[in-house]
Amino acid sequence: MKTRHNKIFRDLTSDYSKNLMLVLAIAIGVFGIGAILGGYSVTKREMTDNYLSTHPASATIEMEEDISRGMVDSVKAMPGIAEAERHATVVARMKVGEKWFPLLLFVIDDFKTKKTNTPFYISGEREPSPSAMLVERTALVVMKAKEGDELEIKTPHGHPQKVKLSGTVHDPSLAPAWQEQSGYGYISLSTLHALGETQGFDQLRIRVSEQPFSKEHILVEAKGVASRVTQKGYHVHEIQVPPPGKHPHQGQMTTVMSIFITFSFLILILGSILVSTSMATLMVKQVRQIGVMKTIGANSWQIGVMYLMMTLVLCILALLIAIPLSRLAASVFYHQLAVLLNLEIRDNTIPNWVPLLQIIGGIVIPLIAVAFPVIRGSRVSVRTALDNHGVLEKRTATNFWAVRFSRISFLSETFRLSIRNVFRQRARMMMTLGLLAAGGAMFMTALNVSEAWDNNLKRIYSQRLYDLEVKLNQPLKADSLLNKIRRIPGVTVAEGWSHSPTAISKGEATEVTQTYPDKGHGSFTIQAMPLPTRLLSPTVKEGRWLANPDAAEVVLNQNARGGYKLGDRISLAVYGKPTAWTIVGFTEDVGSPAMAYTSYDYFSTLTQTQGQVSMLRIAYADRSRQNAELKNLEIENLLQAEQISVSAAIPVWLLQNAIAAHMKVMVNSLMAMAVLMALVGTLGLTATMSMNLLERTREIGVMRAIGATPATIRKLVVWEGLFTGGLSIFIAIVLALVLSTFFGRFIGNMAFRTPLTLTVSVSAMAMWVALIIIGSYAATLYPARRANQITTREALSYE
Amino acid sequence: MNHEQSKSQIQLTRVSKSFPLASGDFHALKNVSLTIPSGKLVAITGKSGSGKSTLLNLIAGIDKPTEGSVSINGVQVEKLPESALATWRGKNIGVVFQFFQLLPTLTILENVMLPMDFCNSYPKKERKSRALSLLEMVGIKEQADKLPSELSGGQQQRAAIARALANDPPMIIADEPTGNLDSQTASSIFDLFASLTRAGKTVIIVTHERDFSEYFGHVIAIADGEIVKEVIHA
Repeated sequence: MKTRHNKIFRDLTSDYSKNLMLVLAIAIGVFGIGAILGGYSVTKREMTDNYLSTHPASATIEMEEDISRGMVDSVKAMPGIAEAERHATVVARMKVGEKWFPLLLFVIDDFKTKKTNTPFYISGEREPSPSAMLVERTALVVMKAKEGDELEIKTPHGHPQKVKLSGTVHDPSLAPAWQEQSGYGYISLSTLHALGETQGFDQLRIRVSEQPFSKEHILVEAKGVASRVTQKGYHVHEIQVPPPGKHPHQGQMTTVMSIFITFSFLILILGSILVSTSMATLMVKQVRQIGVMKTIGANSWQIGVMYLMMTLVLCILALLIAIPLSRLAASVFYHQLAVLLNLEIRDNTIPNWVPLLQIIGGIVIPLIAVAFPVIRGSRVSVRTALDNHGVLEKRTATNFWAVRFSRISFLSETFRLSIRNVFRQRARMMMTLGLLAAGGAMFMTALNVSEAWDNNLKRIYSQRLYDLEVKLNQPLKADSLLNKIRRIPGVTVAEGWSHSPTAISKGEATEVTQTYPDKGHGSFTIQAMPLPTRLLSPTVKEGRWLANPDAAEVVLNQNARGGYKLGDRISLAVYGKPTAWTIVGFTEDVGSPAMAYTSYDYFSTLTQTQGQVSMLRIAYADRSRQNAELKNLEIENLLQAEQISVSAAIPVWLLQNAIAAHMKVMVNSLMAMAVLMALVGTLGLTATMSMNLLERTREIGVMRAIGATPATIRKLVVWEGLFTGGLSIFIAIVLALVLSTFFGRFIGNMAFRTPLTLTVSVSAMAMWVALIIIGSYAATLYPARRANQITTREALSYE
Repeated sequence: MNHEQSKSQIQLTRVSKSFPLASGDFHALKNVSLTIPSGKLVAITGKSGSGKSTLLNLIAGIDKPTEGSVSINGVQVEKLPESALATWRGKNIGVVFQFFQLLPTLTILENVMLPMDFCNSYPKKERKSRALSLLEMVGIKEQADKLPSELSGGQQQRAAIARALANDPPMIIADEPTGNLDSQTASSIFDLFASLTRAGKTVIIVTHERDFSEYFGHVIAIADGEIVKEVIHA
């Protein structure tokens, strides 16, 4: 080892508490990157593997008739088709306690030979016996049941019946049942018939044999199949082509992860700035040593390399701490994500590029950050280095702010001196302020976005003025039913609406949608309401709300908007037929899939269903969940007494819970990021305050020599810390507003296709202010004590 | 070139040095010409602020003249680029400071080995034994593994001299090397410098000490940036 390397290691170990702090600052960033990327890489790989191993159908072709086995065989024999199966999906209901929840029933033709959308067997029966069903593992929680129990279910046309949960499967293509607040069951056609339904298989699922991930190719093949079945006398009303090979939540996850990765890199950059500040300070402190080294033969390059090596050692130590810990955290993270995405982690290997990126990021970013101060410090001339006597006073004298503050007469002399001290090293002050402001801004941004998210969720209630939505199996004349509902005490409004799945009609024989097999993700619905409605308070972003009950006008929400403009004509498929509409407005909905709103009067005339409704929406005077649950039960009982066939009854609180559950991981992770930011920010404050004081040890000695008491020195130091911290708060708040707008827009667009409203979290601000005040105070206490402990003689001889 | 110049190691020709100050330029040296032959113990004397340290810095290449040239063994020092100057200085000039300036986190032995490391002047395996022999020469070999803070002022200055000799430079310059030492220790340091000149090295010392004038073969007195007296002993 070279002699100069001894100096590097001795310098590092001589001030290990400060260096440990620097190691921690880098380690936190590297840890964040590793935890997030590690978690992400495993989850992304497992998500794709899990999803693809279910052999998802390339397309689902929905028909109006039952599909014969012969037709399936005929499609299977078509060139370009690898697999074809018939299938049915029925939206039923299940009774859990006294409440009814939606239950999605997947009707399987042959459990033994099933080759598309195949769930994984876990336990119990592989093929459900008559009057029994297999259940998706995550649904057991919603059902509050276990395998072997019986569950009361009701299909659209049947009576409530008990069905045995005879086996458990895992279907990674479905969101967790508790997230959707619904159940998933797998039954045979005979069981469906036993439950009171008469329908057969009306969906044809196909898998293409070539280019399985090309949407265009799948469309061509699916249309070919549709054409074939049409020739055979079938009526195709929809072709569903979900994004090929992509899990329903894949896009969301990628976007969320990109935010966290950005945050992690920002933490690392903050940590690196801290290292840079510290290295700059060290070089200032050792400027005479640099001069001496240059005098005895060292050139600028050798000096620079020494300090870069010092940084490198800090980085390596940080990596040694951060990488193993980040792998542990990544494991916790991907297991959490797996629960949220209903995945089974089969291979938990974190790819090698993750630690490689950590190593590169954890070394390169800090080295880049210190490069400037190191180059500047190592290029100092020998004379300047040897003549250095500490902070230059020339700048202080001419500093605008220092002069201004020194003239504020009502401030105490100590406070004014503290303020002047803050401005003495402008570059250092800027860096400290930048570090604290960035940490604070990101801390507040994380909490602002989190609160904006909560507020947006609350808009579910302010936009939906109803508390219960009841979807009926058959359109019916509901005037007398609605009157009966209105007479229930506590019910304020009850309206009859109509709804229908739709698609943008391109004039083709069959409409193509992007709906996933769960019928929820990627769906598009048209809703017709009496005008004016008292049960919807839409946020109209452009144009106007529906006003003319007899006009062919629609208002599209942000998920349906696409490239349309106000006044455009749009053709929507309603009951399989193209219908023409004029777009009069665009709304911003929270928690709705693609939606087109129109007038009930016009819609019912168009569809020749005048007087009939397919959906009831009911509002209560008391909107609390407790009351809603009671009232829902009363309405359920009334509907049962009236023998109304209900396909789904969805309370608004259930919808809110479902949406909140979807993004729970994001909100939790944002909070975790905020904590990391706060940690780095506080570390930065502590480090820079210590360094500021260390540099002035000699000056403090002079002050002591001319009569300053320990209390005065302490006050001076603490005020300086508080003033710096205070200044940073203002910058942080401004920066947080900018960042919150950006991230709110990003996350909102991703989750709701609409930006989150800028929210300033007062509690976040208060927390940061408190943290800075306490942190500044705590950060200066030790250096202040240390400054007072050094004897005046020691301080004066300090170099 | 005359006979005197051809023998000389150091030659300053019409050297001026000024420093910009807020109140105007400060002229530390004014048109100084000087020739110092090799193998002498040279004293530069003068009051505080007279320009003696500036003169020393110019000879060591620590500073560059505003006007004129500084030639050491035929090398025009002010024309060397910074990195070449550092290596040249490391190999040709040993510097001793008033406050010793040993690196506090390195042992005495490591401090002495450091110049050899920077200049890559001796094979790695030889550096330790050379450093130890230099420490033995200055009389503090037994202190080799101690940190500077554990040594007395005199011992630290001896260590600094050993460090200055590490690369076996032909010239040693010292800025008030005894200014921080008691008279007895100062005397032993001057003895050490004298022995170096006997070994053929040129030693230039900035000093206020009048008690050690018998050591010097060449005394240059400076006042207000000009050489006011130059005494050369045989």
